[in-house]
Amino acid sequence: MLQKPRGRGRPSTQADPERDWGGAGEEGPSTSRAAGGSSQGSRASLSAPTVGPRTQKQLELKVAELVQFLLIKDQKKIPIKRTDILKHVVGDYRDVYPNLLKLAAERLQYVFGYKLVELEPKSHSYILINMLEPVEADAEMRGDQGTPISGLLMIVLGLIFMKGNTITETEVWDFLRRLGVYPTKKHLIFGDPKKLITEDFVRQRYLEYRRIPHTDPVDYELQWGPRTNLETSKMKVLKFVAKVHNQDPKDWPTQYCEALADEESRARPATASAPATSS
Amino acid sequence: MSKEKCSLTGGKEKRGELVRSLAWQHLVKQEEEEAVKKEEKEEGEDEEEEGSDSSSDDPNPEPPCMHPDLLELVVDREKCRKIRRQYRQLIYTVQQNREDIVNTASDTLSEALEEANVLFDGVSRTREAALDAQFLVLASDLGKEKAKQLNTDMNFFNPIAFCDLLLLFVGFNWVEEECKEFSDCDDSIVLSFWGMLHEEATSWMLQAETFHFIFGSFKAERSARKPRLGCHKRACKMEGSGDMPTKLRRLDVHANQETTEKEVERILGLLQTYFQKYPDTPVSYFEFVIDPNSFSRTVENIFYVSFIIRDGFARIRLDQDRLPILEPTNVSQVDDESDSYSYCRKQGVISLSLQDWKNIVSTFEISEAMIKNSY
Repeated sequence: MLQKPRGRGRPSTQADPERDWGGAGEEGPSTSRAAGGSSQGSRASLSAPTVGPRTQKQLELKVAELVQFLLIKDQKKIPIKRTDILKHVVGDYRDVYPNLLKLAAERLQYVFGYKLVELEPKSHSYILINMLEPVEADAEMRGDQGTPISGLLMIVLGLIFMKGNTITETEVWDFLRRLGVYPTKKHLIFGDPKKLITEDFVRQRYLEYRRIPHTDPVDYELQWGPRTNLETSKMKVLKFVAKVHNQDPKDWPTQYCEALADEESRARPATASAPATSS
Repeated sequence: MSKEKCSLTGGKEKRGELVRSLAWQHLVKQEEEEAVKKEEKEEGEDEEEEGSDSSSDDPNPEPPCMHPDLLELVVDREKCRKIRRQYRQLIYTVQQNREDIVNTASDTLSEALEEANVLFDGVSRTREAALDAQFLVLASDLGKEKAKQLNTDMNFFNPIAFCDLLLLFVGFNWVEEECKEFSDCDDSIVLSFWGMLHEEATSWMLQAETFHFIFGSFKAERSARKPRLGCHKRACKMEGSGDMPTKLRRLDVHANQETTEKEVERILGLLQTYFQKYPDTPVSYFEFVIDPNSFSRTVENIFYVSFIIRDGFARIRLDQDRLPILEPTNVSQVDDESDSYSYCRKQGVISLSLQDWKNIVSTFEISEAMIKNSY
């Protein structure tokens, strides 16, 4: 296969990929038709001069591989690095990587209702978030989804937010101890709770965990990580806390104002974090 | 000189006050002793250090009689050591009482700062100044925490209440009566508590459901630990390939169709051999298609057999017990009845749930599949 980019000036360059794309559209297997909508849009963008003589089928297959890779990588909820995507899936298709990613993101959205989001601008690591607002009845449909750790995560997130966006690790354990979760004791559900909170949640980027300087004995502080801001928001966490209290979110004026400001700032840069735009 | 000394002792007295003002009386003595010990150790180190300093100074061609300047330096040293000790003591005390300083509205922190201020008057060398800086960092850190404390006081957020409300929220208001500690509770209570909380929490998050294969993915066996340096690269490669799933050689719709045809033919062959062997006894449909070891194989078999029926190589009938049986359509035996069967096409839907399958396997006591895997 010819990988080298062809000369821009040559007239054949324009025709070649065009023919490849068009021709394969008719011969392609039925699966490629399902994504007809997205491939239509991509034809123009993918016929960039760098595209070698790849058939549409090959590109469709690559996109499908990428979708599967992203879904499987998401199992562990650890952000997916661009280098891993390039290494394991994209390979020789590096030149069309941005378009592959864009198409994969489109398909994830059409089929699963998931949004592929860059964790932080220019971080080159991605996560999937659910675009569909959760419905109460979904909980029953969901079935057994492994260990129920979201409750613990939500509690920690709530504590952090209510305590002014930072909390010491000691405070977290003082709280969780009352719920039967000890840092050093094996827990029925969470196994090693200290590892779950200070390692797993941190690697998944739900939490930031850092040493507080000049403390003796050494203590650490916990804050929200970037994933938290994408999957939930200050307002949602406040509403969760308020619901537990059976009170109105406005009963905590400081937090409420902060959450409100956060909502407003979210509304303004609408597509700032979309992966496609960063390419 | 005397004035300085006075201020120093004043500082010491103040420290005593400081210590008293904090509520850890029963520990004071012990800690004081420890502190003194620690300091003595440090002093010892200082002494050594300074001793070596002076010894390195010794070879200097100084006159044997003590120079007045040199004498003052010695006095200074004594004073500096005292200042350092006091700084360390101060830092230690504040460190120990961190919690109290942060949580109570006392003036302890400002008193400590004042004390440090007094100490700083006597500081003339970098070494002592560094200790002062260290104390200042600690004090400002505490100040920050105190400020935060003030903030949360205003917010009326009470973690302890939150904790109790969490239990209430899930409907566990009786927990406190039944078991003193949540950790003493029954496993099922713990499970349902976190389960319910998990459900509630997921409705506040946009977490993507994780994708899993119905029958799981291939087990990624841990690759054997990398052979020691001496080993060949080829050996590594062999080991690595153990992790890979078998690659799909060809994925083609046509190829798929071919396999269906082949399977149908194979199964027809099986059926016909049976008919030849026992020409008078029709085969029970269930016994023929059910694979007791695999539900999916069973479904496949039903699918293949349906082709055989459609093409008229066999037919399904209900026997006297109203159980489906398969019997051959004998070409020679073409009478009116069978004619009407073969030409009047009938459609039927077979439903088979996993539970049905299990029931059939146990009822018919099927221990072996009649249609064996071809691969």
